[in-house]
Amino acid sequence: MKKYIIKRIIISVITLVVILLVLFLMLELMPGSPFNDEKLNEAQKAVIRAKYGLDKPIFVRFLNYIKAMLSGDFGVSYTISKNTPITTLLQSRLPISLRIGGQAILIGTMIGLTLGIIAAIKHNTIYDTITTVISVLGVSLPSYVFAMTLIYSMGFKLKWFPLLYQMDAPIYSSVLPTVSLCMFTVATVARFTRTEMLEVLGSDYMLLAESKGINSFHLIFKHALRNALIPIITVLAPLVVGLMTGSLVIEKLFSIPGIGSLLVSAIQSNDYNVVVALTFIYSLMYIGIMLVVDILYGVIDPRIRLAKGDKNE
Amino acid sequence: MKKISKLIALMMAVLLMLSLTACGNKDGNDTPADTTDGASNNSENDSDDAANTTGDNVLNVHFDVEVASLDPQIATDGTSFEVLAAVTEGLYSVDAAGSSILAMAETVDKSADGLTYTYKIRDAKWSNGTPVTANDFVFAWRRLVDPAVASEYAFIVEIACIKNASAIIAGEVAPDQLGVTATDEKTLVVTLDVPVPFFESLLSFPSFLPVNEEFFTAAGDSFGTSPETVLSNGPFMITAYEPAATTITLAKSTTYWDAAKVALDGIKYQVIKDSQQAMLSYQNGDLDVATLSGEQVEQFQADPEFNNIMAGYLWYISPNQTVAGLENQNLRMALALSYDKAAVVNNILKDGSIVADFAVPTLLATGPDGVDFRETTSTYLATDKAKALEYWNTAKAELVVNELKYTMIVEDTESAINVAQFIQAEIEGTLPGITIEIQTMPKKNRVERMQSGDFELGLTRWGPDYADPMTYLDMWTTGSPNNYGFWSNADYDAIIESAKRGELALDIVARWESLKQAESMVLAEAVIFPVYQKGDAVMIKSGVEGVEFHSVGINRIYKNAAKK
Repeated sequence: MKKYIIKRIIISVITLVVILLVLFLMLELMPGSPFNDEKLNEAQKAVIRAKYGLDKPIFVRFLNYIKAMLSGDFGVSYTISKNTPITTLLQSRLPISLRIGGQAILIGTMIGLTLGIIAAIKHNTIYDTITTVISVLGVSLPSYVFAMTLIYSMGFKLKWFPLLYQMDAPIYSSVLPTVSLCMFTVATVARFTRTEMLEVLGSDYMLLAESKGINSFHLIFKHALRNALIPIITVLAPLVVGLMTGSLVIEKLFSIPGIGSLLVSAIQSNDYNVVVALTFIYSLMYIGIMLVVDILYGVIDPRIRLAKGDKNE
Repeated sequence: MKKISKLIALMMAVLLMLSLTACGNKDGNDTPADTTDGASNNSENDSDDAANTTGDNVLNVHFDVEVASLDPQIATDGTSFEVLAAVTEGLYSVDAAGSSILAMAETVDKSADGLTYTYKIRDAKWSNGTPVTANDFVFAWRRLVDPAVASEYAFIVEIACIKNASAIIAGEVAPDQLGVTATDEKTLVVTLDVPVPFFESLLSFPSFLPVNEEFFTAAGDSFGTSPETVLSNGPFMITAYEPAATTITLAKSTTYWDAAKVALDGIKYQVIKDSQQAMLSYQNGDLDVATLSGEQVEQFQADPEFNNIMAGYLWYISPNQTVAGLENQNLRMALALSYDKAAVVNNILKDGSIVADFAVPTLLATGPDGVDFRETTSTYLATDKAKALEYWNTAKAELVVNELKYTMIVEDTESAINVAQFIQAEIEGTLPGITIEIQTMPKKNRVERMQSGDFELGLTRWGPDYADPMTYLDMWTTGSPNNYGFWSNADYDAIIESAKRGELALDIVARWESLKQAESMVLAEAVIFPVYQKGDAVMIKSGVEGVEFHSVGINRIYKNAAKK
């Protein structure tokens, strides 16, 4: 197992470097520069490019960037927040995205699991139908529409929650964004849980367990749910990264100073360093979570653990 | 199965409790400041209190984009300029009508040849108590031209013709050779290469705002990134800000020299990028001033709080004259006259934009006669479909073609695409045989392609940098990077050159007349096809007065604003 994890970490690091290189090449191909093209003449553009080292060949820039990055320097922003170090920019923004995304994942998964289990146990009843409707709505309803409905009803009409994210009320004002964000997770998790649970519940060993007189709680949580969890974790992993790194739509709508909205503005304004830093963080989290998921498989399913163990040790 | 039913009931109950308490619990646990309060109700009250400490007399203003920089010599966008100008005052400010008025300068002494300006700096203080001195301006302006700083607005000093500016920007001369000196603590002397008729108007541009050297050096790289690292000598001071923040709060400055005239207790800027959310927030009472997007105008037009503000942006189509066919003046005239501009502003944009039959926008510049440039000159290229067809028939004969096809490049914003599609239909309808194709792309891409001449037709815009027709007319000189059409006319170049630093620069009346002539030359040859001058639709809550809107430099000034 140890060997397996070390191998995975080495592959992850190589992947990250390759991602950075591809990113550099793609940004190079992007049209325009980060600076105010219209108003500047060639000489002034040259002065500005020289100042930020953008006049150097792309390979030199790449190596310089990696070197600086290893010492924790992600460069400065060119347009979004001129001359501000990226680390300063992310310091306050990353925690907000992580927190709101985390809230959404936590609540969404709990509700989704519950709904899925209920639907599976109460197969073909009204509970099942309700869960299916919620799943379909949650997956198909654009988060913008759902969030706007929440804002209009619970914010604007009923005045229960503020319409916008407020720095001085970080939890209270994050209720609507969290609910908007977790809808998709609820739907996805509920749908998968229901399908997997149904399959497991219909299997012979469940029949055997039930006939042995194992109580319902054990039956569902120890025997059924545990077996059903593996595919659910697989779909949950990318969702976690997606939500934790900030949703573009929700952050824009609620004016949340997170990193999701930052990425798109950065791409549109050719703010190279911000794009690279954010994509790097995104990749890092994605690869990290995939690693965790692989390890989790082993914890949940002894068969996987054994198989991996045999192969690698 | 009975047991299972019970279990479900239990789980449902737990779920319900979780969803109800999840928010409340975290309120108490996660926020360090609230831990002493305990219950979630308390922390909600706290946030209300925090809002109240800024009071009812605080103006809540909507931004649709974040502030990019609070360093006056680095900032380039209207949003940053607006906040900078609220906290900092330069030699000149701008009055409600858009004319320059003395601010940090108490008096100005202009030499007879128009080459030397001597300013006495007012007895004013920065928010840390140090006096505002002439050196604050010297330091800031040297930064503006210093290649090491690489300010994108360094060119504005060249336009002001301050001595040695061009050489310093090019790196040939040291920044301390700039024609600006502090002869004593309160006296600033500015030397120009040639007289610049709009020099005083230019100095109200935010890039010329002062920076205190000692404070700047102490703040180092963090200058302008937090309330502690921004020094204020203006009507307001910053109380909450961080880079790329979605909210910025300002409070009335007690150290401001003219504080008695400032009625507001403060300003709170809220960044909202989604236009629907912005309007909901406005209706919810969270905003006092909010900008509408084009599609919302119809819905709010009848509202008494609805206002139309003229912006400086001129939208026009630039034909690339190096492309076969477009060098033909008759074809260009045909295209320029063929689309219904009134329909563009009334049916497509509906945001208060006006038809542009000109190259120099309205309300941009006032002449030596004290009248707006547009009021004493004629209009050009008004829509005339019959005439357009005549021009097209002549062009067909001259070019020996029956059909032509051009691609128009357009930036990928909704309004630009809508306008382009309408013009496409109009041109194709008026001029049979001409086909227009539309290609959309990000603005940066469009600008790059137009500057490198890799286009046929391009829908583009230009915003003014200073209150003089030159900010537009300068574009169409030979070799200018913004002369997208590659038009070249020696007479035109001569007029512009003379108006900038030749004989005409010395005679402001003759200069004004020749600028009118220059504009007519551009439009007589249809070098550009003007479409519209942009208008902004703004909602202002009743009881809010005195917010001054401008199309050049600082978009909104709040010094005289009041909330009742």
